[in-house]
Amino acid sequence: MSASASLNPARPARSLRELRRTIFSQIGWIACGLALFCVIGPLIDIVGVVAYHGIAAFSGKLFTTTTNGVSGGLLNAIEGTFAISLFGMLIAVPVGVGAGIYLSEYGANRVGSTIRFLSDVLTGTPSIVLGYFSYIVFVTSLGWDFSLLAAAITLAILIVPYLARITELALRQVPVSMREAAFALGATEPTVVFKIILPGAASGVMTGALLALAISVGETAPLIYTAGWSNFLWNGKFTHEPVGYLTYVIWTFIDQPNPQSHALAFAAAFLVMLVVLAINIGVRLTLRRNRVI
Amino acid sequence: MKLRPFRLSLLSLSLLIPAALCAVILFLLIYSAPAIGFNGFGFVSGITWNLGDLYGDPVVTRGFTVPNGANYGILVFVAGTLLSSFIAILIAIPLSVGAAIFLAEAVPNRIRPVLSLLVELVAVVPSVVFGLWGIAVLIPLIGHYVSPSGNGYGLLSASIVLALMITPIIATTLLDALMQVPKENRESAFGLGATHFEVVSKAMMPMVRTTLIGGIVLALGRALGETMAVAMVSGGALNILPTSIFSPVSTIASFILTQLDSAQSDPTNMAVRSLAEIALVLFIITLAVNAGAKLLTSGALNVRKRQS
Amino acid sequence: MKLSNILSRSTALRSGVAALALAATVATTSTAHAATTLVETGSSLLYPLFNLWVPAFTAANPAVQITTTSTGSGAGIAQSIKNLVQIGASDAYMSNALVHKNPNMLNIPLAISAQAVNYNLPGLGDTHLKLSGPILAGIYSGKITMWNDHAIRAANPGVKLPAHKIIAIHRVDGSGDTFIFTQYLSSSTPSWASTVRYGTAVSWPAVADAIGANGNSGMVSAAAANPYSIAYIGVSYAAQAAKAGLGVAELKTADGQYVLPTPETVGAAAASVVTDTPPDERISMIFAHGSNAYPIANYEYAIINAQQPDAATAAALRTFLNWAVTDGNAPQYLNQVQFLPLPTAIQILSKTQIAKIK
Repeated sequence: MSASASLNPARPARSLRELRRTIFSQIGWIACGLALFCVIGPLIDIVGVVAYHGIAAFSGKLFTTTTNGVSGGLLNAIEGTFAISLFGMLIAVPVGVGAGIYLSEYGANRVGSTIRFLSDVLTGTPSIVLGYFSYIVFVTSLGWDFSLLAAAITLAILIVPYLARITELALRQVPVSMREAAFALGATEPTVVFKIILPGAASGVMTGALLALAISVGETAPLIYTAGWSNFLWNGKFTHEPVGYLTYVIWTFIDQPNPQSHALAFAAAFLVMLVVLAINIGVRLTLRRNRVI
Repeated sequence: MKLRPFRLSLLSLSLLIPAALCAVILFLLIYSAPAIGFNGFGFVSGITWNLGDLYGDPVVTRGFTVPNGANYGILVFVAGTLLSSFIAILIAIPLSVGAAIFLAEAVPNRIRPVLSLLVELVAVVPSVVFGLWGIAVLIPLIGHYVSPSGNGYGLLSASIVLALMITPIIATTLLDALMQVPKENRESAFGLGATHFEVVSKAMMPMVRTTLIGGIVLALGRALGETMAVAMVSGGALNILPTSIFSPVSTIASFILTQLDSAQSDPTNMAVRSLAEIALVLFIITLAVNAGAKLLTSGALNVRKRQS
Repeated sequence: MKLSNILSRSTALRSGVAALALAATVATTSTAHAATTLVETGSSLLYPLFNLWVPAFTAANPAVQITTTSTGSGAGIAQSIKNLVQIGASDAYMSNALVHKNPNMLNIPLAISAQAVNYNLPGLGDTHLKLSGPILAGIYSGKITMWNDHAIRAANPGVKLPAHKIIAIHRVDGSGDTFIFTQYLSSSTPSWASTVRYGTAVSWPAVADAIGANGNSGMVSAAAANPYSIAYIGVSYAAQAAKAGLGVAELKTADGQYVLPTPETVGAAAASVVTDTPPDERISMIFAHGSNAYPIANYEYAIINAQQPDAATAAALRTFLNWAVTDGNAPQYLNQVQFLPLPTAIQILSKTQIAKIK
């Protein structure tokens, strides 16, 4: 006996109360549908607005020239984002994956839970607090000035907890029997981890790395006071040399009162969105194929 | 106990995470200590953020060398942060509950993955792009059609942008929970003659109440720490508490972002240290909220396991 | 298991090495050019002029690469002191306390600029509103809240003023524009001088609906977006302000006249301090006495640390700054931003200071 019996048009409502319930239910569904529309609608609008203005600003020059004051191209910003994310990941991946391995294999004790808890606290730290910390400690006190290293370290602190958590979850999914079989065959611990478990969880770890990359590309607040800004390509110095990055263009150029700057801001936003959405859609589709949802 | 170099090296890598966190906390505490001493309890209740006479000579007040007339109060920013986050939660709750219910029950099984993917994607849009969209689309909209003074920058815009950013957090948490409600509860409600909507609202929703609250608190934690989007649309208020939903506001995070440079004009450095104290306040608030969220969500899991 | 083969440790190691090699190649090819990089940050008022100067200077001196950013004069001063940037652009000279703490810092005027008070009053037409320091102080302290307040009406007889609340827009970042604007208010209004005083960042009195903006460009956008608003905007943004439909106010001088910021009026203000300018060139020409002297005019400073970390940077700085105060002061650059060139006497003083950079 299902609810449709009471909504069946061939069978009239038994009472005023049932009619009222039916109407309220229909209104409820319409309201919920509207709610879904209100959640997804702005996403479509954001992607549409950014794509429309961003693509309108595309030209060959965009990818081959650097910014010059408030106009020009995005080459320095693209290269800078790439460099900062690369070095941020180079710092974060060993630490995050190593922590994930420790937590999943040997972390079922109090040390493990403390590390997990503090890692979660670090996730909840506002990114501007990390940027402030890095500015005072690395940029001014240690005297590195605006630099790639300060920016990379700040980003790494931001993304390491995510890497650790995802690596731990991915490693947990590898069956215990595989470990036991490897130990039974006489493998040492490093061999078990690196040759058996990690390859088995490789796709999960890659997922974590890609998601961390997506976060790095879109971050702004931790970089404003650490990377500075440069109109030129990175010249290889890790300290005492500011670096440009795409999100800076979005944050500052939209405020300049001329159309070329606005065009650059939207173009930068489009590039950032492209990378972030591509990574996230790819990752989530792969996850769904592996786990039926 | 045998020394295991492999485990030790992994452990030392793992310990870098708590080390980084402790470094940040210790830094905030130590660096803001003079400011805490100077500002006292009036810090959180004071409305005026006064850097003092930057072009006069510093004086000694209450034992500290500060610019003449310096007085740091952050009530405006605490109010801005709490108000914008709570209004964002008020907007986000009905939207996310409605969206989650619709996705869980009213959408055909084959379309659900696509739509829930779209909802998840809203959460990964970078904050600065939300701010860009806010400046380009939302602010003119609110300024022209809604705001009585024609001013689009303000508490309403900041709250709307925040609401859009945190809705997916609540919606996806709730959707997962709804999908896991045991079939028997749904079917027995249908058996009693409830309409489909009543099954959801009266039989399923109460079961996921704790998870919902956990998701809401988690979203609140995210909203409190948001920087870029809010900085771009909130209107930058100083020294005045918001009087209406259209008033310009400043949040703690956007204030730190925009003021770090001008705080350095203070030759006594007390302004920069007061900013560290603000950062400490924000850190404590978000820590408390996130800890609460963790307690609620982990508690909910225990409840469900017992029932199933 | 194919994925695991692809992602085995040795492959990961190889791609890591490849990435590092790529980075090293990029680095070495860039450093092969061995250009000196200078970073300029600070005043948004000076920013448009720097963006005109840098391409022209780099065309003649390709070995010097200059990055320009606009963060506000407060940041320009602070970051130059910390050597985070080589050139701190500022509309405000350094305070005595900062000079005392950092005796190596130089305040070098590069040009003469001014600031306008713009407003967004629909329906006013081509009339310029007459405003004085006390009126502006009243608006920004909340004592004058309506456009048709009697003080504004008294200064503008015959002008139809709307019965609407004034939306006062101020800068939130550390701003040289705030410095010169509040100096005008302090010099002309004793009550402002004793309460709010002046500086690159001041504690703005609580005014309902007041908006905080970032940078001169933020001031233009905020004023354009809000009818019945008033904002203080540097003259280098005059074209954008006009395009946004903002009006320019005639400000009351120290001698009681109402003038617009024109080359004559700004020149008169500058002329009044030429002989008084000390060797460290820190002086204010706000609210200057003199016939038709525009009340908000100022030297645009480059805040430079006389001790540079290496000789190449110092030489590059000297080359650029000397170029700026001579060739850079040509009408083809200054006319685009409504600035005035330095008088010869000041140019000599600036060059003397530039020579101190080592």
